[in-house]
Amino acid sequence: MIRLVGILFMTLALVSGTASVHAAPPEQLRAEAEETARLLAKLLQAGRLVIEQNQTLIDDLHKGDKGFTPEVFERQMYEVFRQRTGIDLSAPAAKTALVVPPLARTLLPALSDAGKDVVRDAQVVINQRGIGYKNFIPATFGSQAAARFSKRSHVQLKQTAIQPRNPKNEPDEYEASVLHWLSGRPNSDAYVSELTESGRTLRVMMPIYYQRECLACHGEPKGEWDISGYPKEGAREGDLAGAISVKIPLQTE
Amino acid sequence: MAVSNRVPILSRFLKPLQRGLSVTPAAAGLAAFLRCLCRTKPQMVALVLATLLLQGCGLLFDAVHQIYPVTTNELDRICRRQQVQVGMAVEPFRPFVFPAIWTDEGARVTGFDTELVRAVSDALAIHCGTPVAPVLHLVRFRDLFLLLNEGQLDFFVSAVAAGSPSPARSGFAYSTPYFSQGGIGAIATQPEVIDLIRARLRTASGTTARKQLLEGLTIAVQDSTAAHLYAESNVTTTRLLVCDSLPAAFEHAAAGLSPSIDVIIGAHPVLDFMVKTTRRDWQLLEKNDHTPLRFTQDDYAVVMAEESYALRGFINDVIFQLYESGRLEHMRHRWIDESYAYPRRASTEGLPFDVQKMPAHYAQGTCRAASPH
Repeated sequence: MIRLVGILFMTLALVSGTASVHAAPPEQLRAEAEETARLLAKLLQAGRLVIEQNQTLIDDLHKGDKGFTPEVFERQMYEVFRQRTGIDLSAPAAKTALVVPPLARTLLPALSDAGKDVVRDAQVVINQRGIGYKNFIPATFGSQAAARFSKRSHVQLKQTAIQPRNPKNEPDEYEASVLHWLSGRPNSDAYVSELTESGRTLRVMMPIYYQRECLACHGEPKGEWDISGYPKEGAREGDLAGAISVKIPLQTE
Repeated sequence: MAVSNRVPILSRFLKPLQRGLSVTPAAAGLAAFLRCLCRTKPQMVALVLATLLLQGCGLLFDAVHQIYPVTTNELDRICRRQQVQVGMAVEPFRPFVFPAIWTDEGARVTGFDTELVRAVSDALAIHCGTPVAPVLHLVRFRDLFLLLNEGQLDFFVSAVAAGSPSPARSGFAYSTPYFSQGGIGAIATQPEVIDLIRARLRTASGTTARKQLLEGLTIAVQDSTAAHLYAESNVTTTRLLVCDSLPAAFEHAAAGLSPSIDVIIGAHPVLDFMVKTTRRDWQLLEKNDHTPLRFTQDDYAVVMAEESYALRGFINDVIFQLYESGRLEHMRHRWIDESYAYPRRASTEGLPFDVQKMPAHYAQGTCRAASPH
């Protein structure tokens, strides 16, 4: 009799659990996940921008120790992030509690740590004297930072493009459809946010547009090799370069 | 207490022996002597017995070894740890070893030699029946020999000329060649130096004359390389600068530091690749018939400890298989003749390396006057 009650309870628990997964997530949960995804994409973009701003230093042929340490990188990334979002990640958590959703409070530092780890591991490459171009560029930084962050959290972060140079950045079906939709639209700060898998997953795509500095490798003449050996895309300033894709599973039970 | 306990044990062990020996008077005397020795010097008796018993150990060991091999060679050790420790020069020897570079997968190193390392690792994996990961140690060229000597490496590879005679190279062994168009070549950038050598070449003949081509000039070589060994023993009437790396020699020359470098001598394929790709302001020195000026003819080989017979045999076989299948020629073609950008190859086929060994070695170093010998 006791065993029967136990099985009944387990069955009820399973049924109710399954039902709650398929139910539409509460608006507040979605809003929190969406804001977290937006901030994660912004932080990765900030990291990429810091690498771009330090590109001349990183590729300095004549300098050994560049002083571009993980700590320097973090400080600069936080500053760019603050300028773009108004959130100061270097401030005590209590000060940012009102503007940073609870979900993001652990994820943003985790992404920051992943970025710092990448810069730390790249020191042996960055600090080589006598070697100019080291391929430590926003794209290769971003790929590694996103991959390391995704391994450490339940959130999937990825750089993607319609025709990515790195096969691992190949878009999935959803990402490809969004990228095609974005490519036909004018450059804007807007991002795409959508619930997928019957509302169980939130997907956010933050577009990246080519800036002038990118065109040395991605601009004209199309097909000619850039410094890293890839054919140039023939892009123009403001064209869609790709997107940062964030995939957050929503826990609704 | 411990010593007094041994006496009865030893006595018990000796009793049957003593009983057997007491049959004859002489044996009875020996038995009495043993009894006495047991009481007074039990440790000595134990030592004598142990020595007598050890005589059979060798036979026992051989017998067991026939059934189950107890000793292992370096190949077995590689299989057991599923890793092969490989040394590679941190200084670039393009196109054999390119500078370490960042990729989407992290820091990677690529080149002809890394492709060879991958081929050896793949063959080791088949031999061992388990994956064997190459663990690359990027260290200064001169330290490769030291690390191999200390047993920290199974082998190393970095466009090493197999035939360079030097006491510093004793205790090392070389595989069969994987690249046979090596040898020492020379480059220069100043037109007057190039003209001077051309003029000398027109009147030169024989090996001695070849050595005199560089007379009175300042020559730069990379520390501990075949070119360095050659210059030390053959080019005695010139000023010799020893540089930590080739980039250091180029930097010394570009900065106009004193003494100014007239000629850099080094591995011919490396110099040839550099003047065609990154150092177009330098020129490969040629003979009057426009063939490259070389001072030696060398083959490049994989370097191992002299006693690594099994590993050497194995690598020789890998190289032979690569040669027979035409892959070695394909490798030569794609790294030497083809036009490519190495960062892309590093991204797709580069090997990771042990970062812990790197920080102390990332500087390309400087050049200094060689000490007189």
